[in-house]
Amino acid sequence: MAATTVRRGVGLGLRHLAYAVIAFIFVLPLWWAIVSSLRPNGEVFADIFPFTAKALLPSPLTLEAYSGIFERGFGMIIGNTMLVALITMVAGLIVNGAAGFAFAMFQFRGKAIILTLIIISFMLPFEAIALPLYTVTQQLGWLDNIAALIVPSVANGLAVFLFYQFFSQVPKDYAEAARLDGVSWLNILLRIYVPLSIPTCISAALLLFIFQWEAFLWPLLAMPSQQFKVIQVGMAAFQQQYQTIWNQLFAVSVITALIPIALLLPLQRYYVQGLAGAGIKG
Amino acid sequence: MTQSRTPVLLIILLLVPALIGLVVFRLYPIALAVNDSFFNVLRGNSVFVGFDNYVALLTDSAFWNSLKITLWFNLLINPIQIALALGLALLYVQNFKGVGVYRVLFLIPIGVSLPTAVIIWRIMLSQDGLVNGVIGIAGVPAQPWLTAESLALYSIIAIATWKGISYWMIFIIGGLQNISPEIYDAARIDGVKAWQRLIFITIPLLRPTLLFVLVADVSINFLLFAPIFMLTQGGPADSTNVLMYEAYKSGFVFGDMGRAMAIIVVVVAILLVIVGLQFRLLSGRREAR
Repeated sequence: MAATTVRRGVGLGLRHLAYAVIAFIFVLPLWWAIVSSLRPNGEVFADIFPFTAKALLPSPLTLEAYSGIFERGFGMIIGNTMLVALITMVAGLIVNGAAGFAFAMFQFRGKAIILTLIIISFMLPFEAIALPLYTVTQQLGWLDNIAALIVPSVANGLAVFLFYQFFSQVPKDYAEAARLDGVSWLNILLRIYVPLSIPTCISAALLLFIFQWEAFLWPLLAMPSQQFKVIQVGMAAFQQQYQTIWNQLFAVSVITALIPIALLLPLQRYYVQGLAGAGIKG
Repeated sequence: MTQSRTPVLLIILLLVPALIGLVVFRLYPIALAVNDSFFNVLRGNSVFVGFDNYVALLTDSAFWNSLKITLWFNLLINPIQIALALGLALLYVQNFKGVGVYRVLFLIPIGVSLPTAVIIWRIMLSQDGLVNGVIGIAGVPAQPWLTAESLALYSIIAIATWKGISYWMIFIIGGLQNISPEIYDAARIDGVKAWQRLIFITIPLLRPTLLFVLVADVSINFLLFAPIFMLTQGGPADSTNVLMYEAYKSGFVFGDMGRAMAIIVVVVAILLVIVGLQFRLLSGRREAR
């Protein structure tokens, strides 16, 4: 097609324009949240009626919203959530990685059935079992205990599946050669397979971390007294309690969003590859 | 690897933690939900009532109304999300100078949790909010996005869509990267137009990925809870009262766990039927050329 060559220069410009417009719509809510969190509360809705471009700039600029939310104890809530998410992440990598390794390396009876159950367990969203899980937690006596937030989320079907997929692709020769040299299975796992699987570990770690960071319904049910608040629940409670402190509400939202985004952006390659791979096979 | 060399003890050690976790916290709750749906709690005692909770749902207008809303909501949100995610994925995989910046921006909503998205959008959609400001430029009067019976459900669809499509885009990107570029080169040489390439090459070859996304997306949207809980509490006038919220209300507001569990079982059963149908209809034998 000769015409495309002629139009290429103009085409690139139009392309950037189209992409920029779409990206702008995409990012606008978060951008407006950031801008508004940097304004004094009385100015949040300034410049909107009638609408001017100034509405999208933080003027006048102040950090009072951020100092305000930390005075209300949000530092503690962020710390709580970090604790829950990090423990889940580390325990989840070990538990799910081990299971994925076993599925990929060994043949044993019932493997296909167990794998199918695992796939079903991650296709069924957490919301579906949240109410009955509440009863299970009650039976275990874990209500209002931090264990209720962590333990049920450690075993993750999708993470097992990611590791299973990855370890299946590693040539079996490595393990067989090492076995012939008399290396124990545990050493094979730790010395050969764990280092190879770092990219998968990163995507599984992101998955587990983000899952906990975004958890809302479950912590709401499992911690009825709300002595130990995690961020999504804390944010929702804040919203109900301080409906009109707009700039602080925005500040809370911005912090809640920016922490996972700060993790995702440098590691997006792993996250995208990990999830995209699961979709093809799934 | 032969059976005789299989280190049984090691396999058990490796598998047991994950399996216990999945059985106790995923599969057992499902069984428990089914079981609890056959009981009612009267003065602190569980009484076996058989199918009473289900039978009661049959004549329960709140349940039927809620089911209708859930189905309508899903009929709209799933096609919208998947079509937009596909469009966005097609934009994402293009290669040209400077595309990297847009790729990063397209991914940003993934980091925004649903509750965060809800809070930001609630203020954006408020009477004096940004959305009304922007439509005001075109002379459109301010709308009560979340408090009007005719608009609230659609506002929730918009919020969940904004938050969801980047995530689904990732899976579609994986599918697109799996299609070999030679097919496109050949089509281009044959003079096949871009939209024809999309309909006759890309979409058929993406079928497995799209099926996965459809099933996963429907599962999530069928059980959507957070935005309704935070924004509308099922209102105004029950117009956003989806089944998950009805179940939550039943169990945690009115203390009727039997009814709540019966609703959950019905929701999951309907979901399984829908997912089964999708597999039957879409995984089809029709191979792409």
